[in-house]
Amino acid sequence: MKRYFAVLLGILTAIGGFVDIGDLVTNAQVGARFGTSLVGVVALGVVGICVFAEMSGRIAAVSRRATFDLVRERLGPRMGFLNLVGSMLVTLLTFIAEIGGVALALQLVSSLHHLLIVPFVAAAVWLVLWRAKFSSIENVLGLMGLALIGFAVALWQLGPDWGQLVAGVSPAEKPEGEGWATYAYFAVALFGAAMTPYEVFFFSSGGVEERWTSKDIGVMRANVFIGFPLGGLLSVAIAGCAATVFLPAGVAVETLGQVGLPVAVGIGKIGLAVVVLGFFAATFGAACETGLSTGYSLAQYFGFPWGKFVRPKEAAGFHIILLLATVVAAGVLLTGVDPIMVTEISVVFSAIALPLTYFPILVVANDPDYLGEHVNGPVANALGVFYLVVIAVAALAAIPLMAVTSMGQG
Amino acid sequence: MKRSQRPAVVAVLLALALLLAGCGVVSRPGPAAWDDRAAQALTDAGSEVATARLALESARKGRTWSSYTTVLLAEAEEAAGKVEEDLSRLQVPAGRADAAAHVLDLLGRAVDLVGEARAHAVSGKYDDQALLDQLDRLSDELQQAAP
Amino acid sequence: MGSLAERNGYDVGLHLLDRQVIGADDRLIGKVDDIELVIDDDGALVPTALLMGLPALLPRFGPRLGGALARAHRLVREAAADQDLPLVVDFDLVEDVSSDVRLSEPGHGLLHRMAHDRAADPRRCRVGDLLGIPVRCPDLPRRSKVLDLRMVGSPDGPGEHRVESLIVGPGRPGALFGYDRRSEPGPLAVAAVVHWLHRHARIVELGEGVEIDHEAGEVRIVAGTSLAPLRG
Repeated sequence: MKRYFAVLLGILTAIGGFVDIGDLVTNAQVGARFGTSLVGVVALGVVGICVFAEMSGRIAAVSRRATFDLVRERLGPRMGFLNLVGSMLVTLLTFIAEIGGVALALQLVSSLHHLLIVPFVAAAVWLVLWRAKFSSIENVLGLMGLALIGFAVALWQLGPDWGQLVAGVSPAEKPEGEGWATYAYFAVALFGAAMTPYEVFFFSSGGVEERWTSKDIGVMRANVFIGFPLGGLLSVAIAGCAATVFLPAGVAVETLGQVGLPVAVGIGKIGLAVVVLGFFAATFGAACETGLSTGYSLAQYFGFPWGKFVRPKEAAGFHIILLLATVVAAGVLLTGVDPIMVTEISVVFSAIALPLTYFPILVVANDPDYLGEHVNGPVANALGVFYLVVIAVAALAAIPLMAVTSMGQG
Repeated sequence: MKRSQRPAVVAVLLALALLLAGCGVVSRPGPAAWDDRAAQALTDAGSEVATARLALESARKGRTWSSYTTVLLAEAEEAAGKVEEDLSRLQVPAGRADAAAHVLDLLGRAVDLVGEARAHAVSGKYDDQALLDQLDRLSDELQQAAP
Repeated sequence: MGSLAERNGYDVGLHLLDRQVIGADDRLIGKVDDIELVIDDDGALVPTALLMGLPALLPRFGPRLGGALARAHRLVREAAADQDLPLVVDFDLVEDVSSDVRLSEPGHGLLHRMAHDRAADPRRCRVGDLLGIPVRCPDLPRRSKVLDLRMVGSPDGPGEHRVESLIVGPGRPGALFGYDRRSEPGPLAVAAVVHWLHRHARIVELGEGVEIDHEAGEVRIVAGTSLAPLRG
């Protein structure tokens, strides 16, 4: 009984923890501009993150190696370092966006300007990273993140023309006024938001910290294969709400307040309150995850002690990095830069950083030296190679598309 | 300098020169580019007006709380103001003077109206049907003006 | 997990370099940033120590970038005079090599700085210095390099271990990703690409006809020396 409860809890937190500021903003923006015509890309990204999260989780369970260990072991110090710098920058960017997202969510409740809230949020995130028992925080925030189900309820209450929504899923249903370059740009952004590399860093490092063994592979798979797709459905619900309310009215989503507005229209005050709580939980949880991921990747590259289960005194370097990352994030936000814009940039740069992270995972997942009998089967390999190609295309296309569409405005 | 590095340096310098050529103090778009910018500005302003309308309507029906409405409208006002400001700073190309006056007038009205909506929201007056109608009409006008 | 003890030889670059080093007390100590080799009187290369720390890692970034980084590191850590020498863990302490390198003693106080005369000893070299140096051989493509060193024995087993053969060919060290071994099917597409890229790579046994010239930083192989293809 207790075991089933643990599995259920894991799945629920995986659902609640799946969505972060990147998913919230990008899905609402895309829904408002393209209706449901990009839902296929969300599905593609969700399956992709499932494939690679399962591989990295399996490697963590069997060989106790986290993702950045593999990156350095297979890419060598030079390429590994390049990847380290790139991933750290992208994860730091995401970290900044998440802290900004928490501040924006609190702004909606307090009407205080978010710049006033940022220092407190940063301090709270750092305290959690330093002191709190992470699994409990993860569970609480993950369960609170389930509040985003409000979007699914709102979509149902809004009573859209379901036939039209479903028919709009085809890319051919792209609104007339939008160019294909803009369409492709947002496809890359959505893909990057769904497959952000920090999710894999965090997932595998968490597995190593919690001392998964090959017996835990089943539970891990349940979390990934049930939790992530259901989390992805929340993303789709956000896009669906935006498509129903904003697309006909010609509204472009630029703020977090707008992201929640369809819920107010659909359900009302209570629903909106629940969803704003979901914003807070999702962004705060992701802020903790991204913050830890910066520390994890640096520590794993250089091999010094890391983790929440090592006493702070022993993992001093790890905790100094966390502190530095938090200070940098707060500093950047206090310059007055728009957190939503940071989010938009972070998801696109995520797409660029993907190949160097996912390639070593795929190679090691085939290595019997690490995995023994648990090496990839043919399905995982076929999907892995397919996604490697997709990721490479997305990474190469990201910067040109960004320039051509001036970040999706054209 | 090593010989092998010379082409790279030349390329970087050329790119920098090109970049600088595109960034004067005053941006002077051609007629077609100005039309694009104007259309984009009208679309953006229309988005802010529609947001203000949605926010006010939801507040009137008691579907949001006051601070949420205030934040939404304040952000819409700020964004609309920025749209108007950005377009008004462009050098208007020859033969677009009338169009520019019309567009800037529409944008100015959008800023004023969203500002009024914000003022209503802060003082808690949500059920001003006249204001909602005005927002509606302006939203339509903006949509028609933007091709 | 395939412990290397079961293996009849292993590749240093693939199986040992960059792995996590863990003490007997389960504490993470560092990465295998480089490996020290001693050149025996009969020319055999024998591993003697794992090297750790930035002074071991930075030179592996290549002559230009690595040199610049090493200089920057010396500037920052000027206070400690011996900071430009790596930390040493004797090879005898290696107990087990799987996906990590386990030592037979706790990590605390185990590491010591390399002595200056040891660093200057011409009979000692590092794996990082050998990987990637050019190979001159009439039977190989001109741009061939040392891609990896193959050892006999296992670092955790009894008996001798020494470098038995070199993997040479065009390309970069580490770019084989382990696809030179037969046991690894990999995703077929990736394996095929890697194999095609390394179709000219060969294994050459150390000994007659193979000369490693440390001064010139190159390996010379006499024409006609037997070159085995990668996968047996």
